[in-house]
Amino acid sequence: MNGKKSFSRKTAGYLLLIGLVACLPAFLSGFPYGILICCFIMIYIIAVSGLDVVFGYCGQISMGHAAFFAIGAYGSALLHGYFDIPIPITMLIGSLMAGLIGALIAWPASKLVFHFLSLATMAFGEIVYQFISHSPGNITNNYVGYYTESVSIFGFALDTNLKFFYFALICTVIFLAAKNRIIDSKVGRAFIAVRESSHAAGGMGINVRKYKVTAFAISAFYTAFAGSMYAHLVKYISPDTFMQKQSVMFLTMLLFGGTASTFGPICGAAIVMLLNELLRSAERYQMLIYGIMLLVVIVLIPGGIYGTIEQKVKSYMKKKKEVRAGAESK
Amino acid sequence: MFWQLLISGLVIGSVYGLIALGYSLIYKASGLMTFAQGDLLTLGAFLGVTLYSGLNLPFAVSLVLAVLLAFFLGMGVEKFIIRRLLDKKVMAIYIVLATIAVSYIIQNGTMLGFGTKTLYFPAIFPFKTIKIGSISVQTESVVCIIVAVLCMLVLHFFMSKTKLGTAMRAASMDRLAAEARGIDVSLTTGITWGLAAGLAALGGMLIGPVFGVYTTLGSTIGKKGSAAAVTGGYGNMYGAMVGGLLLGIVETMVAGLWTSELKDMISYIILLVFLFLKPTGLFNERAIQD
Repeated sequence: MNGKKSFSRKTAGYLLLIGLVACLPAFLSGFPYGILICCFIMIYIIAVSGLDVVFGYCGQISMGHAAFFAIGAYGSALLHGYFDIPIPITMLIGSLMAGLIGALIAWPASKLVFHFLSLATMAFGEIVYQFISHSPGNITNNYVGYYTESVSIFGFALDTNLKFFYFALICTVIFLAAKNRIIDSKVGRAFIAVRESSHAAGGMGINVRKYKVTAFAISAFYTAFAGSMYAHLVKYISPDTFMQKQSVMFLTMLLFGGTASTFGPICGAAIVMLLNELLRSAERYQMLIYGIMLLVVIVLIPGGIYGTIEQKVKSYMKKKKEVRAGAESK
Repeated sequence: MFWQLLISGLVIGSVYGLIALGYSLIYKASGLMTFAQGDLLTLGAFLGVTLYSGLNLPFAVSLVLAVLLAFFLGMGVEKFIIRRLLDKKVMAIYIVLATIAVSYIIQNGTMLGFGTKTLYFPAIFPFKTIKIGSISVQTESVVCIIVAVLCMLVLHFFMSKTKLGTAMRAASMDRLAAEARGIDVSLTTGITWGLAAGLAALGGMLIGPVFGVYTTLGSTIGKKGSAAAVTGGYGNMYGAMVGGLLLGIVETMVAGLWTSELKDMISYIILLVFLFLKPTGLFNERAIQD
């Protein structure tokens, strides 16, 4: 009964948060650029949540998630451009394609450990980058970039940033809810078991390879969907967006926020994105500041911002409980 | 045409080999992976060109100075960043990310310090080309190959015959046992990182006169160097050099004889193929598997 009560409280909390975010454009009405930034933040929340599935829960590193971002973006834009398939469907097809490619890559990669997995995923990212910048028959327009259109659902075009904002909010809620469902299920528990010890997981009868492949496929789907949202929000994609820097940024957002939680990726994506915007005027020093920031975070708060706060709150609660228990026993 | 391609393949291959040597050294000594090698190469090349054409020092002196500076920088990175993280017992990903952060700082730092223009070494040798049989080769290219191979030999001698080298190998095999025998493990690990950085700077000094020096010179070379290390067997020093030379030749041949579109992709494909099919590399080095 207690569990049910706290569950409903949690749900109420989520609904309140969604409601607050939905009201956000009202506060930003005099500042249209702010709405665009919010759209980007939500795109990155989906992408980073995808990375969280494979890294935070399943413990497998990926240094090439920009590749899935690219597959989603280019897949959707090219399918729409060449075959005239309606956009929401191309977004799904592109993401499914990325999930399939992720599974194909993860199948042989699943026997590699940490460092070598990071090399393999980095190489995969570079191959995809090279492919879209030197595409056969110039189908992606190479370095010039590819123009595409905005999303339209049954003829209702999401052509303003405000309309896209609500579309992105709905997508984010659906994807985060789905992520929570996956993590709470048998699959999610298997992921965590694989992360803690793949040998022990194997001994318990968990098919380690199958779950590693599943984690990669789910993760690729999430990130690719975010990529397709990016493509139809900006309406222009070029290989520059999908360099290795992007993969490192996803990892930075995830570690900055905190891994293996719902709110970690949200905090990370929002804070890193806002910092990027604030530092825009110092573009010349951006990489330098970024590097120093990364180092400071790694050295000072290795648990990420949300992770550290959560831990502080937990230890505070525990202390309070202990004090109370001590008072009762007296 | 074939011989010309072979020579240029050997030149870039020997630089990949030097970078891969650094990866292998660090992996052997501490089981860690760095992503900063490529940008240390850029830094070495910039230091070299400044010392050589800015301060008018002889080439050999500026080479030694640049390598020494990089050596101390590498040791500093180990001492102030990597060691601290290791002492905190953080996840391995944080160390990889820390080296990426260092590489960003170096890349942006060289851009701010040396500008965005491509710098060129003034002619180093009195004669521009050397004739070998019927083909003429740029002198810098020949020097590049010779110095790289020489460096490999010296390093091999250092690691197998000197006391410090033996201590470094011992520390990499069993940290605890080495400490019990009175080996200063943190010093040897520091030296390893310094050596790796020095090798990268040397690579920069060698490739700078051939390619010109610019801020993103090292970023692709660094990544392809890791492909070379895997090809040869990650952690094996001969493997690093052989893998580097092989990769350089294959890449140049593919670009010269087939299509230049695939030039950058081919090394990554080789890297993936080796990781998936033969992760122990050509020299059958026991890369750790899950």
